[in-house]
Amino acid sequence: MTSLTEEDKKKLALDFCGLKFNSPLVLLSGCVGFGEEYTRINGFSNTDVGAICLKGTTLEPRLGNPPHRLSETYMGMLNAIGLQNPGSKIVVEDYLPDLDFTETRFIANLSGSTIEEYEAVTRIFDDSPIDAMEINISCPNVKEGGVAFGNDPEMSARVVEVCRKATKKPLITKLSPNQTDIAENARRCIEAGTDGFAVINTLMGMTIDINSRQPIIGNNQGGLSGPAIKPIALLKVHQVYQVAKQHNIPIIGQGGITTVEDAIEFIIAGATTVGIGTALFYEPLVCPKLNKGIVDYLDKHNLDNVSELVGTLKLHG
Amino acid sequence: MTHPATRNTLYVEQAELLSQDEYADQQFHMRLHAPETATHARPGHFIHMQCDASLYMRRPMSIMRSNPKSKTIDVLYKVHGQGTDLLSKRNIGDKIDLIGPIGQSFKMKGYKKRPLLIGGGVGIPPMVFLAEHIKNTAKDISPLVIMGSEIPFPFKSRPSQIMLKEMPSDVIAAMPLLDDWGIPSRLTSLQDYPGCFHGYVTDLTRHWLDQLDKEQRNEVEIFSCGPTPMLKAVAQLAKEYALPCQVSLEEYMACAVGGCAGCTVLIETDKGPAMKRVCVDGPVFEAKSVIQFQE
Ligand SMILES: Cc1cc2nc3c(=O)[nH]c(=O)nc-3n(C[C@H](O)[C@H](O)[C@H](O)COP(=O)(O)OP(=O)(O)OC[C@H]3O[C@@H](n4cnc5c(N)ncnc54)[C@H](O)[C@@H]3O)c2cc1C
Ligand SMILES: Cc1cc2nc3c(=O)[nH]c(=O)nc-3n(C[C@H](O)[C@H](O)[C@H](O)COP(=O)(O)O)c2cc1C
Ligand code: FES
Repeated sequence: MTSLTEEDKKKLALDFCGLKFNSPLVLLSGCVGFGEEYTRINGFSNTDVGAICLKGTTLEPRLGNPPHRLSETYMGMLNAIGLQNPGSKIVVEDYLPDLDFTETRFIANLSGSTIEEYEAVTRIFDDSPIDAMEINISCPNVKEGGVAFGNDPEMSARVVEVCRKATKKPLITKLSPNQTDIAENARRCIEAGTDGFAVINTLMGMTIDINSRQPIIGNNQGGLSGPAIKPIALLKVHQVYQVAKQHNIPIIGQGGITTVEDAIEFIIAGATTVGIGTALFYEPLVCPKLNKGIVDYLDKHNLDNVSELVGTLKLHG
Repeated sequence: MTHPATRNTLYVEQAELLSQDEYADQQFHMRLHAPETATHARPGHFIHMQCDASLYMRRPMSIMRSNPKSKTIDVLYKVHGQGTDLLSKRNIGDKIDLIGPIGQSFKMKGYKKRPLLIGGGVGIPPMVFLAEHIKNTAKDISPLVIMGSEIPFPFKSRPSQIMLKEMPSDVIAAMPLLDDWGIPSRLTSLQDYPGCFHGYVTDLTRHWLDQLDKEQRNEVEIFSCGPTPMLKAVAQLAKEYALPCQVSLEEYMACAVGGCAGCTVLIETDKGPAMKRVCVDGPVFEAKSVIQFQE
């Protein structure tokens, strides 16, 4: 980890679903390719983060959506990539061997159009060096599966259940904000055997080109990320935490985190770790800054380790 | 274990804005002090810049010139929307956060003898970079640059000192910078600008190609950057004349380092059609591999 003393590193080290993380920072699925893309940047190091979530992976290769796949919004962006990926077999055989597992933990991000597909992808990653798996039942950009599963607690639980049977590796369920009762969904996923949560995935949105009167995004609609969604994400983390804490289930809080203050807010709300996605597009070297800022906050508040801060929110009576 | 060779090849720099000159129709030419980018840039590379810290997404911009000695790069842009508008209001001495140099450059191994560089609008900058590179590295090669614009060119054109017998005699306006380097250039527009060819870049290109004999035509290789309809016309012309052609594409970008797959275009590969990222697999592609240009 760059520019931190050994003592400071201890303050950030934590346990997440039985895995050793050297920082509470987690790089988010879809923002960092298959784990190596950001290392192109001089000064960027995978050792600065606790874990990296790889791009959403399906059983078969997917070309993804037509352009444009991106559109800027006030303090954020829409994306509709459409889960472009080479398929789980190629990821396991060709991509994982190139990853340096001594630098950080790598988490696969699983997607499917059917429950059987989720199960098959889980089995393929189960037989690989991957550290953990994140079940993406909240992708808003594919016609089948994805958020259609994630918005229905019954279906969410069924997906988690089959994945659970297919692996002993840690399973993290990525919850959708596009649903009415996220806490109820979380409760069902815990019963079905999830080890952790990722909260939240993107919110559905649209932008329109007023000259052509067409949506800017080729897929017409896309997922909103970045600071624009932060207050929503924070509330969802708080809501899921109320359920998860009773079972010691940790959360990767995410949605617009860009500054040290953002990260700390999520931890206070109940996130054990914090996800960094869209912020990398703004500031690719943000991670060492966040690590340092979190350490400074812990020092100021006489805390020895970041996990002591998790869920310390003091609600108004 | 060995890490991929791509590691540590891009730099985040706080580049000082040294100059910013305005041309007609809100076109701006800026010079930035960006030591790493200037040292490593090759023709076709671009930067991903924060137009203003208040704007969350960066903007991709081609590198028009890079000078490793003075550690400066030049960028030429036209105000298009919010980002470029904010960029045009930055002050001399400001630090501009940028990532560079990004992308696959034009492939220049084993030049053909007659590189033809075709730039349209804000696609002119990479052609200038390529022309300067050829001038500095391949003395026996004689490039020709054809540029098109529907707004006044972002430089004061002047009659070329370099005669070209294959060009119509009244098409004489040139980019002074290129002329001073001894590289012939000719300008085209549908507007009636003095000394410019009235028509599209592809019309003038066709005229020029038709004046060459077969052997000379075989020595031509096209490099092009500009708006998508122009690139498509160039790609189809190259196909018609069976000339090799490389094009630099544009697509909306978020990360510009290959992480988000937001900037992809459909490209024909050995293994069939694939969505390739304009930022790191491009922006330069073989024209014949760009599927939208084949239709
Ligand atoms: C590799 C590459 C090199 C480029 N080089 C140059 C150059 O040298 N000079 C120049 O003037 N322009 C260049 N462009 C285009 C330039 O990036 C856009 O004009 C700019 O992003 C517009 O931003 P805006 O906020 O002013 O416009 P807006 O229309 O307000 O932008 C809205 C959003 O759309 C995106 N966008 C709009 N048009 C484009 C476009 N053509 N390409 C990519 N994203 C776009 C913006 O980045 C922004 O996120 C290049 C684009 C690419 C991909
Ligand atoms: C370009 C892009 C692609 C994404 N792809 C995926 C994906 O494949 N799987 C997934 O679970 N989440 C995906 N996400 C969602 C992010 O992982 C993250 O949950 C979301 O963007 C909120 O965090 P942020 O605001 O910090 O980016 C994607 C987000 C972006 C911006
Ligand atoms: S802009 Fe993210 S992959 Fe090209």
